[in-house]
Amino acid sequence: MDYFRVIWTVARKDLLIEMRTRERVAAMGSFVVLVGVLFNYSIDTAIVRPQEIAPGIIWMTIIFGGLLGMGRTFHLEEEDGAFSGVLQTPIPLDALYLGKTAANLVILSLVTVLIFIVFSVFFGLSFGSHPFVLLTVVFLALIGFVGLSTLFSAMSVRTTMGESLLPVLVFPLLIPMVIFGVSATSRLFAGRPVSEVTGSVRMLGAFAILSVAAGALLFRYVVEE
Amino acid sequence: MSGPAPFAVRETDFSGSPTPTLEARGLVREFAGFPAVDGVDFQLDAGRLLAVFGPNGAGKTTLLRILAGGLRPTRGQVLLDGNTVDVGDREWRRRIGVVSHQGFLYGRLTVAENLEFYGRLFGLSDLAERVPERLAAVGLEDRSRSVVRTLSRGMRQRLALARALLHDPEVVLLDEPYTGLDAHAAAILRDVLASLKDGRRTVVLVTHNLGQGLELADRVAIQVAGRFRWIDDRDRVEASTFEAFYRDVVEERA
Repeated sequence: MDYFRVIWTVARKDLLIEMRTRERVAAMGSFVVLVGVLFNYSIDTAIVRPQEIAPGIIWMTIIFGGLLGMGRTFHLEEEDGAFSGVLQTPIPLDALYLGKTAANLVILSLVTVLIFIVFSVFFGLSFGSHPFVLLTVVFLALIGFVGLSTLFSAMSVRTTMGESLLPVLVFPLLIPMVIFGVSATSRLFAGRPVSEVTGSVRMLGAFAILSVAAGALLFRYVVEE
Repeated sequence: MSGPAPFAVRETDFSGSPTPTLEARGLVREFAGFPAVDGVDFQLDAGRLLAVFGPNGAGKTTLLRILAGGLRPTRGQVLLDGNTVDVGDREWRRRIGVVSHQGFLYGRLTVAENLEFYGRLFGLSDLAERVPERLAAVGLEDRSRSVVRTLSRGMRQRLALARALLHDPEVVLLDEPYTGLDAHAAAILRDVLASLKDGRRTVVLVTHNLGQGLELADRVAIQVAGRFRWIDDRDRVEASTFEAFYRDVVEERA
């Protein structure tokens, strides 16, 4: 019970700070709106069908926009050495990681909703006839994404290269998310049967579990000196 | 008492003393081959206060970080009640409170929210009573709803002290707690530090402030270039001799 209380305490604190500053949501939100606007003008819809290229663009927007915010995960912690203070408390470090991952998941989920709204407005997309399956696909991919980016954000904040290092570290590991996320989303947008995406959903589930498990296991080695 | 020669090492005989609470054995911490802490040994009995003085770069903060379990020594051990303490030791973290150069505070949270957050991480269940009580002890009871980033340096330092003592730690580690405090804040801090000498807590205080350190300490040490050049019981030390030695050391390092 204490373990889950720690996760909740950490996540609640991160969300409270985000609610007050809106620092990350504002940065990510502005980015995705601008991307939507730019793609709107960069694609000739007389030649290219938005429905066919939208899944790839949506997932790349999630990744680039997401990293913009996830990279800031530990920056507020560095202010006045607050993170060092947290590390001096007797909490399990994997619970600390899971709390921060949970807060990041909430923040990125909000931004992802905005991404889908922006793309539906600009491209007039139809999201298919299986919204709950689409939701599952997106949610599993986001779990995997925040699992990895939270871990690597902790790592990059302690290097001289800082946030610029984060994409270099994370992008190669996001390949499964891109492959199976785009594949499942394309088929769902095209109105194909659910049976065609179950394999991708399983792979995204495995990606989510492995990412979070690896993050929880490795976090202590990243934050302890 | 005749003054010791510069860099002479003075060591108290501990034979017959009770079981020490906090002990450092041959602590060495190197950074890129350079020893920031170089063979520090001491024993501190339960309920006593050790004041460590030293010029800038003497390794005092590094020593404190090792004692706090935040930095692994290259060699040597920290022991509490005879048991070795290691980085990541959760039981050790439960028993210590640390005041550092930094306040470890979240600037966007209020004063009360900061204490409640840390209190929950320490698993405290009586925060509704404990938080106002601790804030009153450091004179911040009327600022509980203030956002921390709006507080003055002195107020933040007092809040940092309240945060460090929130869980009633048995061992308190203080790194330059007087830095940046005005006379009023320094007086409150002095009262709080004096209240720590209740026989239950073991305190290590790192400071440049000889007067305040000597006033509070049961044991005193001077650290230079990573090593303790003088460590003794306070009542065996003549203040003027100690101060002269400290000045010599500082001038020599300058």
